[in-house]
Amino acid sequence: MALIELQHITKTYDLGLSKVHALRDIDFNIEKGEFVAIVGQSGSGKSTLMNILGCLDVPTTGAYLLGGRDVSTLADDELADVRNLEIGFVFQSFQLLPRASALENVELPLIYRGVSPRERREKAKAALDRVQLGDRTHHKPTELSGGQRQRVAIARALVTDPSLLLADEPTGNLDSATGEDIIRLFLELHAAGNTIVLVTHEPKLAARCPRAVRVVDGLVVADGEGQRVAFENQRDIDAAAAAALAAQQQMASGLSQREPGTGAHHG
Amino acid sequence: MAEATLPAAAPKRAPIKHKRIGFWRSILRIFRELREAIVQALTSLVAHRLRAALTITGIAIGVGTVIAIYSAVAGLDDSFAKQLSMLGPNTLYVSKWSWGSNRENWWKLRNRPGVGRGDYRALLAGAKLPEAVAPIVGTQSTVGIGEHELQNIDIRGTTDAFLESGGFQVKHGRFLTSVDEEIGTDACIIGADLEDAFFKNAEPLGGRLKVGPMSRCTVVGTLVRKGNAFGQSQDKVLILPLSSFGRAFGAKRSMTIAAVAPIGRVRETEEELIQVLRTYRRILPDQDDNFTVNRQDKILQSFNQTTLALKVVAGLIGVITLLVGGIGIMNIMLVSVKERTREIGVRRALGARRSTILLQFLCEAVAVSCVGGMVGTALGIGVAWFLAQVTPMSAAVSPSVLLLGVGFSIGTGLLFGIWPAASAALLQPIEALRHE
Repeated sequence: MALIELQHITKTYDLGLSKVHALRDIDFNIEKGEFVAIVGQSGSGKSTLMNILGCLDVPTTGAYLLGGRDVSTLADDELADVRNLEIGFVFQSFQLLPRASALENVELPLIYRGVSPRERREKAKAALDRVQLGDRTHHKPTELSGGQRQRVAIARALVTDPSLLLADEPTGNLDSATGEDIIRLFLELHAAGNTIVLVTHEPKLAARCPRAVRVVDGLVVADGEGQRVAFENQRDIDAAAAAALAAQQQMASGLSQREPGTGAHHG
Repeated sequence: MAEATLPAAAPKRAPIKHKRIGFWRSILRIFRELREAIVQALTSLVAHRLRAALTITGIAIGVGTVIAIYSAVAGLDDSFAKQLSMLGPNTLYVSKWSWGSNRENWWKLRNRPGVGRGDYRALLAGAKLPEAVAPIVGTQSTVGIGEHELQNIDIRGTTDAFLESGGFQVKHGRFLTSVDEEIGTDACIIGADLEDAFFKNAEPLGGRLKVGPMSRCTVVGTLVRKGNAFGQSQDKVLILPLSSFGRAFGAKRSMTIAAVAPIGRVRETEEELIQVLRTYRRILPDQDDNFTVNRQDKILQSFNQTTLALKVVAGLIGVITLLVGGIGIMNIMLVSVKERTREIGVRRALGARRSTILLQFLCEAVAVSCVGGMVGTALGIGVAWFLAQVTPMSAAVSPSVLLLGVGFSIGTGLLFGIWPAASAALLQPIEALRHE
């Protein structure tokens, strides 16, 4: 049994006048212990996919089996418990509570599962040690560097011992050297047996992962070895992007010819 | 060939166990989340000191006003109860005047014949139920020793039975006796204020006082201090035998006759007094009484009506000020929710349930209102104390009012905090996380 089974997932946003098909037919599995990149341009549906994987949202149709349990039909509170017990989030902008110390930030998810204050403290300390921040426990986020903040966020994701570590552009707000440190940390965590899903638009980052899944227009277009998937469609995509840009420019110039007041009409 | 295209790594078949939060854990979780919510609320208060202080001021003024007004009314109640206790709960007062009567029947009452010695004797002879019957006449006059004189002293003329009608107690010496009345001695009993004024460092018993313009009397007893009622001392009093009073101030005064009813037989006694007096005064069956038998509970009734009105007004003022304070709370809570939308998203992503978020923001609202309530209570007590010091009103702070003040402020926090808290709890985690 795979840790994650996505069965014909679709997600449609009803905007009243129009319907947006963010995900059209997503169907793949992730095994326990895998390190998978979900790669795609912005607007490809990868964020929607990440929200569903993270149980922050539920699919319109299809089933999402997490550890064999269908979580696509759960109620709000049950989803909150699943997030707490099964998933560790790492966000692009770290999302630490500004007024809380590193230790308090890491303790936070444990409060929501009713862990005693003493046990919380011990576990949070251990998690901070694991990301080499054992000496920064009482620093506020503002007193930490970007890389350190992201490490605190990773410690917060790890402290609950989740089944799935879900990282959304974890290096997006970091310079390349610090980003590299974070990637190494993820690789280490993977080596230690953690299941990691990393969502990114950067092919370079996806190429570092053992497996990558490319999402385009709400569909999985490639799934395989990270290095191969990350770059194989790049030329097609570049071409498509160039075409889209050209079309946009054409439209813009078409619009500019119809400035109000000129009275000109194109027949 | 076909096998070669299969993925190299076979799917791991390791069993995956469902994680669950156990029953006891989920009970414990409620308390741990509550504790966290309270800590968060206080942290937030400290972080936004000025904002919190302004809102707290709003609530405090509301609660303070209510407590001050209630304390003042309670003080009024207290002093009134004191005043009434002087009258004695089982004592009936026969008088030409009707207590608590309005202006309209003043003329009617004025034209009644006065209550006099004849009525007193008729009651002594005819009424079997009263345990004691005491005639009381009164005036105000000067009392003094030599050049040292006090104005406006209550002079009362009565008999030995007066003591039983309630109110006064003898501290030293004795009260009047039947002998004093029969032979019209110059004995007098003085209140505590007179004792202080004339016998500061001397023995009052046996002292000689000048009463009114003409007569003199000898102090044979002193009374226990009664204190103030409505800002007036009840201890500026001098009691004489009825006969001596008549000699000094004139005998043809309308009197009040106090009759002490046996406990539990006040109504019957009242009936009997009315019958005896109607017979004595030869009032025909179709005529109204030309006297009134007064009871303290009649005054109590009209007094309670007055204070009830005050209490209602105080309550209304309190509700309005708390309403204003509550709107203040709602305002800062809405701002707080807006500011911390991303934080809410993070908490939700990490496993906070809707109820957890609701609890957190409700705790914050209640923390503000509760601190406001406590400050307001202190404020109210301060104002009440100040009023008691500088005005003749006395103020009484009862514990029930304190509970009411703090309880009301907490209720306000809950009432006005529920909407912002609910709007926080109903946020979608994704949108909250995306909020800038």
